Amino acid sequence: MEREPFVIATTERGRIAIAPAAVAQIVGAAAAESYGVVALAGRGRLSRLVPWGIKKGVDIELRDGGLVVELRVVVEHGLRLAEVAETVRSRVQYELERMVGLPIASLEVHIDGVRH
Amino acid sequence: MELEVVRHLARSALQNLEAHRRRIDDLNVYPVPDGDTGTNLVLTLRSIVEALEASTAATSDAVAKDVTRAALMGARGNSGVIFSQVVRGFVEVLGEHEGVSSPLLSKAFRGASDTAYRAVKRPVEGTMLTVIREMAEESERKDLRSVRPNELLEAVLARGEDALARTPEMLDVLRNAGVVDAGGAGLVEIARGMVYGATGKELPDVPVEGESLGFDAIHQELSDCRYCTVFVVEGEELDKDTLEDQLEEIGDSLLVVGDSTALKVHVHTDDPGRALTLGTALGVVEGVEIANMHVQTAQREERLLESAPATATLETGLVAVCPGRGNRRLFESLGATRVIEGGQSMNPSAADILEAIEAVPTDTVLVLPNNSNVVLTAEQAAALSRKTVRVIPSKSVQAGFAAMSRFLPTSAPEENEEAMLEELAAAISGEITVASRDATIDGVDIREGAYLGLVDDLAVASGPDLDAVVHEVVDRVLAGGQTFLTILTGEDAPPLDGLLTALEERHPDLEALDVHEGGQPHYPLLVVAQ
Repeated sequence: MEREPFVIATTERGRIAIAPAAVAQIVGAAAAESYGVVALAGRGRLSRLVPWGIKKGVDIELRDGGLVVELRVVVEHGLRLAEVAETVRSRVQYELERMVGLPIASLEVHIDGVRH
Repeated sequence: MELEVVRHLARSALQNLEAHRRRIDDLNVYPVPDGDTGTNLVLTLRSIVEALEASTAATSDAVAKDVTRAALMGARGNSGVIFSQVVRGFVEVLGEHEGVSSPLLSKAFRGASDTAYRAVKRPVEGTMLTVIREMAEESERKDLRSVRPNELLEAVLARGEDALARTPEMLDVLRNAGVVDAGGAGLVEIARGMVYGATGKELPDVPVEGESLGFDAIHQELSDCRYCTVFVVEGEELDKDTLEDQLEEIGDSLLVVGDSTALKVHVHTDDPGRALTLGTALGVVEGVEIANMHVQTAQREERLLESAPATATLETGLVAVCPGRGNRRLFESLGATRVIEGGQSMNPSAADILEAIEAVPTDTVLVLPNNSNVVLTAEQAAALSRKTVRVIPSKSVQAGFAAMSRFLPTSAPEENEEAMLEELAAAISGEITVASRDATIDGVDIREGAYLGLVDDLAVASGPDLDAVVHEVVDRVLAGGQTFLTILTGEDAPPLDGLLTALEERHPDLEALDVHEGGQPHYPLLVVAQ
């Protein structure tokens, strides 16, 4: 089962669409570059339900025109988790707004583990 | 590493960083342009300085432990977290020996760089990481092996400046914005402050800033002295160090910032007259503010006593986090033992919450974080305390308010916890804010500047007319047949008279419609139905 691409713009000459996998790659890359994140965690809740779980630790859905993003990360031991999670959230949101332009309905960051 | 020396270097670093805070905030474009890098680094470094002021560490190892702990617990924001790792790597090496030599400093810079890099899966170059790595590489240069520590530090600082200047070549967002990396700039200024502190050179003059951030933060400190005293001295060739030394003898929570033409002074002292005399001896004194902190504390204690009639019967202590003076009073009047200022844009640190928990005179303490971002911090603080701490995971101020309605300081902690969790689960929260940009969220079209209504964090209505948005939100929070509605007004809330009458007419089954002045920023109205 292939996932429908997300339409990000419609013009007289046609539509511009982005594959969910591409969105997930953007999210994954932004998360991996966020300070404190040492790994993206295993598959999330949504990807267990659907066969096209696309990127480790990242779940993307389009709901009522807004992106629903769920992200699972592993963080280095000893860091302030709340600060790291907030950095990941703001960085992912910023990259999505800058590159994709779809509104974000929700963006959840789960810390799945702490690496010693 | 000696405590006295480290204290001096950390103070010098903080002083220099504070002078550059605004500039660094303005540089901030990576990882997101939110202009808070300088502020976050100042807050992080301040927590280290404060820990050192309080420290009694007698060995190098003990100093390292105090510094590491303060850096980790006080870390604010992304730059603060990275800096906490740099500090940790640096002092862990120095803590292994009592003395300091050039080879050891080199190892410490290497430790700082490696520790900082270890905590990220994909390091981005052109950031703070690059600056500390190049500093470490410089310190390892063969021809620097036998120089004196101060010479090594100067070489490392020069290389840090050079690496910083090259950050735009490494990171496109910096080049496009025409700036160097903010975190890297902060690290260089911290290093500069330390190096100048070590070599005894005078720091380059930086124009005095208007209202320094330091004064707000330092006000939160506990002090035995009676008067909080603030003033500005203007003159020529003002000697900051001497004034600092003199003031240190008559008070605490001391902060002197500025340059040779103007110094701003903050000190907690029992003798404000003497502090002013010291100032007038140097130049013209202006902007004097003296506040009696004991009166403030006494007023606060009185309010606490009103809500919890006798300390002897206080069974459950409670710490709440909330924004706005009105909300603070509200939570105190409902029996909160301690209230910490904080919320959407100013999250307290685990250390702030821990301090409040420890200050509560009961063995079991409940914590109401009142913000989804603070829940995790509260749990961290709970884990750090030796007391039994239960976090009631309230995600908003109004949800916390609902939970407070079941709180009785004179009841057992278990009973309170159960009742509050029950109330939290049943309460429906709504909020009205002003949209900061155009968007479509949860199927609601939102225009910048329009009112936006949310119920349990989902957008339900938006438009230019406040009343229409409020009605939609209130309709939804009352949809389950709740009969109590509470409204907390924000610092920029419009007059509500007509709206309240309309609400009462629209919902005749309401048993109570309470309105309190909350004073929170960003949210003109918060509502909760019970």
